[in-house]
Amino acid sequence: MRANILKIPLIAALASAAVAAVAQQAEPGVPAATVIAIPPMTTPDTGTRGNEMLAIAWQATQIIEADLRQTSELVPLKPDQKDYYSYPEVTAPSFSTWRAKGARALVTGFVQMRSDGRLTFGCYVYDIDKRRELARRGFVVAANDVRRAAHRCSSLAYQAVTGSPANFDTRIAYVAETGTPGNIVKRIALMDSDGRNHSYLTAGDTLVLTPRLSPSANRIAYVSFSEGSPQVRLIDLATNQQSALIPTQTTSFAPRFSADGNRILFSMMQGPNCDIYVVNAAGGPAQRLTTAPGIDTGGSFSPDGRQIVFESDRSGTQQLYVMNADGSGQRRISFGGGVYAAPEWSPDGQWIAFTHRGPYGRRIGVMKVDGSEERLLTTGPNDDSASWAASSRELLFQRPDQTGRPGLFRIGLDGSAPRQMTIPQPGSDPDWSGATE
Amino acid sequence: MRKTLILLLAATLIAGPAAAQLRLPVVGQRQPATPPVPLIDLLRAEFAAQSGGTTVYFGGNSSVLGPPARTVLAAQAAWLRRHPEVVVRVEGYADPGDTRDHALAIGARRAEEVRNYLILLGVPAAQIGATTWGKERPGPGRAVTVLVR
Repeated sequence: MRANILKIPLIAALASAAVAAVAQQAEPGVPAATVIAIPPMTTPDTGTRGNEMLAIAWQATQIIEADLRQTSELVPLKPDQKDYYSYPEVTAPSFSTWRAKGARALVTGFVQMRSDGRLTFGCYVYDIDKRRELARRGFVVAANDVRRAAHRCSSLAYQAVTGSPANFDTRIAYVAETGTPGNIVKRIALMDSDGRNHSYLTAGDTLVLTPRLSPSANRIAYVSFSEGSPQVRLIDLATNQQSALIPTQTTSFAPRFSADGNRILFSMMQGPNCDIYVVNAAGGPAQRLTTAPGIDTGGSFSPDGRQIVFESDRSGTQQLYVMNADGSGQRRISFGGGVYAAPEWSPDGQWIAFTHRGPYGRRIGVMKVDGSEERLLTTGPNDDSASWAASSRELLFQRPDQTGRPGLFRIGLDGSAPRQMTIPQPGSDPDWSGATE
Repeated sequence: MRKTLILLLAATLIAGPAAAQLRLPVVGQRQPATPPVPLIDLLRAEFAAQSGGTTVYFGGNSSVLGPPARTVLAAQAAWLRRHPEVVVRVEGYADPGDTRDHALAIGARRAEEVRNYLILLGVPAAQIGATTWGKERPGPGRAVTVLVR
């Protein structure tokens, strides 16, 4: 482990002058990691309360370290309680100390108890080479919500260093799978992106598929077989109220919210034909967007809401297409061999993630919006259901183990190896929310 | 109604070997006559035996009915025309390698294709429903005609 930490600064030092402060474009296959120091946070409080706050600050520091360690772009130095600093040093850190340890970025901060019993977190991010503050932010949270404050500090650091939105204060919805082969019980599950606050939203008495979170993670659209045929339903997470997306009994599926949360795409059967429709998230009549004979499905909005990527087998095999949000200007963007399916537009608008089916099975890949720079990120043979992280630098996808039970994996665009997420049981159909702030 | 039941019981008994292959629910092995075999199970067994099977199979990403499928469906249609009181649901399935959303659509399309073919062969449309299981049950791409009532 120590060897790793020592090696990475060298690689980082050899990289171009685009140091920590500079937003780096996510380029597949190009690893770029910035070493970041996270010494234990401090407190202005004194006496017994000061000790309490220091304990909370240490807890927060460890959460921030764990958050940043999950990423491909940042490599945190292990926090050491010997590196404790005083309150004034929060805004006047010893840059030379951290530069000597190989770090190029630094997080400092403090925790202070307010008179109302809540906690103030101060979070500061520095570029060590330039001896310059990159970002600072204060958060006020309930005394039992240290985790959220720490995630927000991690997000601040990640965004300041990489220029991309962070994934730490986000939710993941997926389908929890229990039971035995041939008799699988599926439930919609929801958790924070670090695996905390795990809960089940459906009872398991009905087959459910493909949960899709609204951008602010307050609603979930999903597919339910409660009426016999698959139909899109909605869950309001604040009230736990459930409702059908459209009033008819027609087979519908593949729901997905627009980035502003105001519209929902879905697919609906009409005879042997499957087309993509859009409906206002608040209700109202659905508008049909595709009419070509064949199966058009898997629609996903561009972040500006003006375009939609989708899959269609109108050419004979499933391929990816882009159209305007009103259904006009449909054009094919995938031209390789095999099948292209399950597209999702990245939050930064640059990439389309997809599942590719070829002789080796199913793999996850990405391509630019015009179909260029296509590359496969995973090795298969049964990978599927890619969902973007808010950072647009990572994907979540499903992959079965040797016994065929699916798990959830994260993979960076930088070509690093997939990492399995810890969930209480097998899971499939992951969906990662945007940054919820 | 009772008369029909007796006739059906007789029919099932006569069709002995075929019925055995179909793994009919065992009648009264523990306690004779209770519970009685539901009428729907008897009908299902007869339907399966006399139509050469409840299931037709498809090629990858195809909903085209091949000659073997058409033979099975012709026999299904003949039986359904003789039993206008019976309602069936055609359940379409995708291949395990299909992607999730496409699987739901291809299953629905296969079910629709079978339903349309049965209607073409004279089965009243109101007698046949259709649905899809996508890739949510193990097995190859297929459509199964299930007696509902």
